[in-house]
Amino acid sequence: MARKKNNGTDAPVDTEQVVRAFAKAVAEGDIVNFKVLFAPWAPTRQGTTESFDDPKYGYLLPEGDESSPAFSEALERVKASGTWAHIEGELAAKRPAQLPGELLLLLADNAVRLGKFTAAAQAYELLRARRRMQKVFYDQAVDALANDRLEDAAKGFRIGVGLAYDYAAFPEPLPAVGQYQTQALMLHAVYPTKPDHCVALLPDEIQVQAALDYLLYENEAVARLHEEPIEKKLELIAGFVHLIDPEWDAFLVRYSDTCALIDRFRERMRDGDRAGSIEQQIADQDGGDPHEIMAALLGREIPSGEWWQYLRELAYRNPAAALFVGRQRIGDSEIIMPRLRQDSALAARLGIKAAPEAAGAV
Amino acid sequence: MTDSFPGYIDFYAILGLDAETNPGAIRNTYKKLMKQLLVDISKSQQTGERIDHFILEMAKLNAAVYVLRDKETRETYDSERASLIALEQEWCALPESDRESHDKIRRQFDARVRAFLSKYVEESVLAAALDKEVVETSHWNPAYTRHATRLLRKYRHGLLHDIFERLPFHEVTTPNIDWSERETAAQRLLAEAKV
Repeated sequence: MARKKNNGTDAPVDTEQVVRAFAKAVAEGDIVNFKVLFAPWAPTRQGTTESFDDPKYGYLLPEGDESSPAFSEALERVKASGTWAHIEGELAAKRPAQLPGELLLLLADNAVRLGKFTAAAQAYELLRARRRMQKVFYDQAVDALANDRLEDAAKGFRIGVGLAYDYAAFPEPLPAVGQYQTQALMLHAVYPTKPDHCVALLPDEIQVQAALDYLLYENEAVARLHEEPIEKKLELIAGFVHLIDPEWDAFLVRYSDTCALIDRFRERMRDGDRAGSIEQQIADQDGGDPHEIMAALLGREIPSGEWWQYLRELAYRNPAAALFVGRQRIGDSEIIMPRLRQDSALAARLGIKAAPEAAGAV
Repeated sequence: MTDSFPGYIDFYAILGLDAETNPGAIRNTYKKLMKQLLVDISKSQQTGERIDHFILEMAKLNAAVYVLRDKETRETYDSERASLIALEQEWCALPESDRESHDKIRRQFDARVRAFLSKYVEESVLAAALDKEVVETSHWNPAYTRHATRLLRKYRHGLLHDIFERLPFHEVTTPNIDWSERETAAQRLLAEAKV
């Protein structure tokens, strides 16, 4: 829809509102709103038909508490004479605006503080500081790991990978995010006919490496941990999983419940690779459908859901869950079910527990 | 051989040759390097990362020989690369206050550098993939071409990034970043971050 034409009767822009709008965007690490404020049609500019009085621009202005330290600092920086003069000049000019670098740096820091990593990555990238900031966070994370400050180490790696960029994105590079729902499918792309096909059954060293590759998803982050002993890697993974997945403990309960449910289906699964009469066998037995295992693991049923649909959603909700499941053929269909090596150090560190039989242990 | 202007794909550096090398020597060097690469590939364990690396290396060698062995394409490449480097130098020499000239040269440079990299990173690999001599030497096949699409896009953006990092700032004002302060800031953020 075309924008209204300027009829030349626009009210003057309220400078105080403009300052507060910029301060809000900077304090909240919101790079989208920050750029919007410089747009040719933005209500910050004189001579447009848009106005902050219009409720649709309410989201650009601070609501309520304006006394937070982040907002106060941002307000002070916006009002700084050199910065404000630059902003005024850019808003008056009829060309793409040049963003004030000092504010952008503060915005990026605030975005990191608030966990808005894609915004931070974009801001640092514009400042050509992203790769170096990533390195600074990785350095600090490795240092924290060496000094047993595990929470800081996990946070450092979380921030570092959060600042990653995907230079293969189409059409232009974009911030990279953990696509666990896709990575999990790749982790289980091959049907496990041997133990080394299933990540959950791998020996400790290889399993931990696979977990790091999957969870940290950036080569540089993983490379930083090559020399670390396995105990440190395990601690880091545990910290990282709890950072990215606040609902991990709820998953542990579901995992345990699912293992109990599997006992009901154990015999049926053992018969699964025999004659093609499994559907009949299932129909002959009371007690439900093996697909309930996937629903129990996920915590909800996906109507007519295939194993990969469950896996995708499971990995999206609980990324590390994909490391403790495996594919299982039942008759003509497949499910995902808990898989666990009983002496797995990774499982023990993440609190995964199951009865040996139930979890298809070896 | 070091590339003093990283980003503008340097086919001579890829082959380890200088700009005066004759086409015969270019072909011989290409065959030697490709043979060595194929030996390395056959000896190494094939992980996803290594496959990506080998396909990209193969694509770069193929594009290099495809462009440099022919007099006309080689001259075009040399002159386009040299003129882009000259334009970069002209841009970098502009006074920071002259926004108008910066904008003018930026638009010109942006279009040309993107076209240059598309042509010599992606299009030349695709063209080389149809060349009999290149296909026979490298055992390149259509599956590699499909696989290389994403790799080449990433490589091209990486080169573009290397170039842009040297250029004057235009989307933002030149930031005054104190890296020792940044380390302190990162420590503070690590403590305060809500991740």
